[in-house]
Amino acid sequence: MTADLIVDHEIRLWVFLPIVVITFLVGILRHYISILISSQKKVELQQLRDSQLILRAKLLRENAKYIPKSTFLMRRYAFNKEEEGYLTQKRPNNTQNAMTDPSVMTDMLKGNVTNVLPMLIIGGWINWMFSGFITTKVPFPLTLRFKSMLQRGIELSHLDASWVSSASWYFLNVFGLRSIYALVLGENNAADQSRQMQEQMSGAATNMPQDPRVAFKAEWEALEILEHQWALSNIENTLI
Amino acid sequence: MSNKNNSENVAYNELAIRYNLSVVEYVRTSMAALSGCTAGLLGLTGLYGAAFYIFAVTSLWLMVLFKAGFKTWKSYFISRKGLLTNGFFGHLFTYILCWTFIYGMVHVY
Repeated sequence: MTADLIVDHEIRLWVFLPIVVITFLVGILRHYISILISSQKKVELQQLRDSQLILRAKLLRENAKYIPKSTFLMRRYAFNKEEEGYLTQKRPNNTQNAMTDPSVMTDMLKGNVTNVLPMLIIGGWINWMFSGFITTKVPFPLTLRFKSMLQRGIELSHLDASWVSSASWYFLNVFGLRSIYALVLGENNAADQSRQMQEQMSGAATNMPQDPRVAFKAEWEALEILEHQWALSNIENTLI
Repeated sequence: MSNKNNSENVAYNELAIRYNLSVVEYVRTSMAALSGCTAGLLGLTGLYGAAFYIFAVTSLWLMVLFKAGFKTWKSYFISRKGLLTNGFFGHLFTYILCWTFIYGMVHVY
C-alpha cells in the first residue's frame, strides 16, 4: 500500500491480533460466568398474578376487533367494574425498599463483579501492556476531530488522523463486537459491555418490582377509551 | 402466516413475524461481517467502502425478497422498506470493524 509510515510486522502478530482475540474471548468468558453465578429470581404469587392480569387486559385490547361488541363490553366490564373489577381492586402498597432486601443487594453485587471489575482489569491491563503502539489505519479519511478519539496514548501532532493507537483499537473492539456476540451466543447474552453500561446508567429502577397499581391504572385507562370496531362485519360475504 | 380478511385489514401472527425479523437480523449481522471482511481483503478505501456497504445491504435485501417471493413477501413481513432500512447504522459499525481489521491485517503491514 502507499503507506507513508512503515509499521513493524511484529506489531501485527503481538499487538494487533491479541487485542481482538482477548476482547472477544473476555466477552465470551463474561457470558458464561454470569450464567454460572446468576441466581434464579424468586417471583411471588401475587406479582405473577398481576402481570398475567395485565397481559390478559392487553390481549383483550389488541384483539377487540375480532369479537362481537357485546362480548367485548362484557369482558371490559369484568376488568373495569366500579369497585371489584380486576383492574380496580384495592391493593396494599407492597413495594419493598430495595436496600432492605438482601437478594437485590447480592444481585447488584454480582452485576458489578461481572461488569465493572473485568472492564477495569482488562482495560487497565491492555493499556499497560500494549500502550503506545500504532496498530492500524482505518481505510477511510477522517478529520482532525477524531484524532483524540482514535489516537489515545500517542501525542504526535503531525500524524494523520486515520492511524489508530492500540488503546483506541481496544475500545473500537469493545463497542464493535456486540453484534458478533449476538451471532455467536444468541440474543440477550451477557457479553455485551456497552449494553450493560447503559443499563447501569439508567439506574436500578428497572429491576425493582413495579407497583401494580400504576400499571393497573394505565391499563384501565386504555381499556376505558377503547372504541369497539368490529373487523369481521362482512365475514359472511368473504367466506362464502 | 397471515390470512387476509379484506384488502386493508390483514391479521398477522405476532410470534411468526417477530421470529422472521430476528432471523433476518442474524442474516444481516453475518452479511455485515462478511462484506466487511471482503472490503478489507479487496483493499477498498474511502467512499468505495461505503458504496460497497450500500451495495451489500441492497443485494441482501433483494435476496431476502427473492427468498420470500417477490409477489408473496407480504405474508412474511409487514413492511418491505423496513426490511431494507432497519439497523442500517447498527450494522455499519460491525462492517467498519471487520473492514478495518482485515484491511489492517492485509494492507497496512
